[in-house]
Amino acid sequence: MRLVFEADPAPELTRTLLAIQKSAQRHFQGTLTDSVIGYATLTLFFKPLQFQRDRVEAWLLDQVDLTKSDTHCDPPPAIILPVFYHPSVGPDLEWLADDKGLSVDDIIALHSGATYFAYATGFAPGFCYLGTLPSQLMAPRLATPRSKVPPGSVAIADLQTAVYPCESPGGWRLIGQCPQPLFNLRHTPANLLSVGDTVRFEPVSEADFYAMGGAR
Amino acid sequence: MSTLIIGQAGIATSVQDSGRAGTLQLGIPPSGAMDPYALVSGQHQLGHVHDEAALEMAYADLIARSTHDCHIVITGAPVTLAIDDQCLDPRKIHAIKAGQTLSIRATKIGIYSYLHISGGIATEPVFQSRSTSPREVIGGFEGRYLRDGDTLPIGPTHSRPSRDDPLLDLSPSPSTLTLRFVPGFQHDEFSPAAMSALLGTEFSVTPSANRMGVKLSRGGLHSGIESLLSEATCYGAIQIPPDGAPIVLLNDRQTVGGYPKPGAVISSDCARLAQARPGQKVRFVSCSAEEADRIQWLERHFVETRLQ
Repeated sequence: MRLVFEADPAPELTRTLLAIQKSAQRHFQGTLTDSVIGYATLTLFFKPLQFQRDRVEAWLLDQVDLTKSDTHCDPPPAIILPVFYHPSVGPDLEWLADDKGLSVDDIIALHSGATYFAYATGFAPGFCYLGTLPSQLMAPRLATPRSKVPPGSVAIADLQTAVYPCESPGGWRLIGQCPQPLFNLRHTPANLLSVGDTVRFEPVSEADFYAMGGAR
Repeated sequence: MSTLIIGQAGIATSVQDSGRAGTLQLGIPPSGAMDPYALVSGQHQLGHVHDEAALEMAYADLIARSTHDCHIVITGAPVTLAIDDQCLDPRKIHAIKAGQTLSIRATKIGIYSYLHISGGIATEPVFQSRSTSPREVIGGFEGRYLRDGDTLPIGPTHSRPSRDDPLLDLSPSPSTLTLRFVPGFQHDEFSPAAMSALLGTEFSVTPSANRMGVKLSRGGLHSGIESLLSEATCYGAIQIPPDGAPIVLLNDRQTVGGYPKPGAVISSDCARLAQARPGQKVRFVSCSAEEADRIQWLERHFVETRLQ
């Protein structure tokens, strides 16, 4: 069952989705197995045969009215992710500077100067879709995705940015690397970033990058 | 501890149970047996009631040896079975003596076969499941497909094998496999031309079919939808990427995606599609959500009553 909002993604919308998700987890305890927030959607997964379509539908519609009024809260403190911005670990950094008519330092200042909001998680364990990228940095995806993006790669696409938590294929533009692991099964929760978090990137030197456990 | 020693693993053999729940928001797919009916049939035949894990073999080509006396049964795609070079009926429960060598090979029908061993494969569960998610390197044996020489732990046997139950095999696919799908919310945004192409085309399964999903041949299905914000995917979701060739997402799918989706194939037809070999002709027909619920209920009922 999917709840779709015909609205542009915004932190307020995501907070509404989080509030409905929380209340669905309480209300349908035992029958709701998963719930996933997208940019403007909340998708609920139920145990087969324990799902009453009409009831869930009616309940969801009620929630939208209930939560609309009360989703304001102070955002949690930003999570700081260190980034080594350098062509050696960010193969698209110089291309991006050329394409935008900016210096590499300008790119770094723009990317690390913004505060991002976590709109959605998924794609790979620990992957988190962050927005909104300063519009001067907006870049299209690669026409042919790379078959292997190294873990920790800091990437941008459209008005989004993200860190690849593990090696995977990927079509986003790579501008640096983050030495901080985003997913660890031995931690609870296993993922560093959750929907609703705010995130900032902090430039670090090559020496600090390696000292923090970064690897090329 | 009792173990199963893999002499020859085959191309894609992994530990699977019925899969995990509650991890989609983390980006971890449910995984689990591609043919859930075959899994549950084998579990039942060995008297397993705790979702004991089996070895899922794609195009089975397995040689293995158990270090202890046990019972085995093989379900799913038909195979040939030899125990110490003696050919035996692959659809029966067999008692194996410690040190005997099992040799299991695919036949020409289906893809996924399941080797169940009394006690189940007892690797460490991750998020309450032993299923392997190879891309995420999670679950099963070291989060990966098995290799020659791996040694798998086998759980203690608490149960007695019940009886052979070959009726739970998925029937071989007819000449054209019909995939019933429930239209999703983007359905209305698809151009009428795209929808009539989806319903009127005979597609075929391509070799790009694996645990993540099945890519169908025949591109040119253009949704008319420009771009889409990433959102959750579901089992059976029909994705239309820019090349216009539909992909039906299955157990190891990415948990979110941004491709347009006209709907989702109902779960029982997903299992049939999973067992379909490249070249299999398939056709889509739409089905209401209520009808999909009824089909699912009836299939569950069939399985559960067969299992008593």
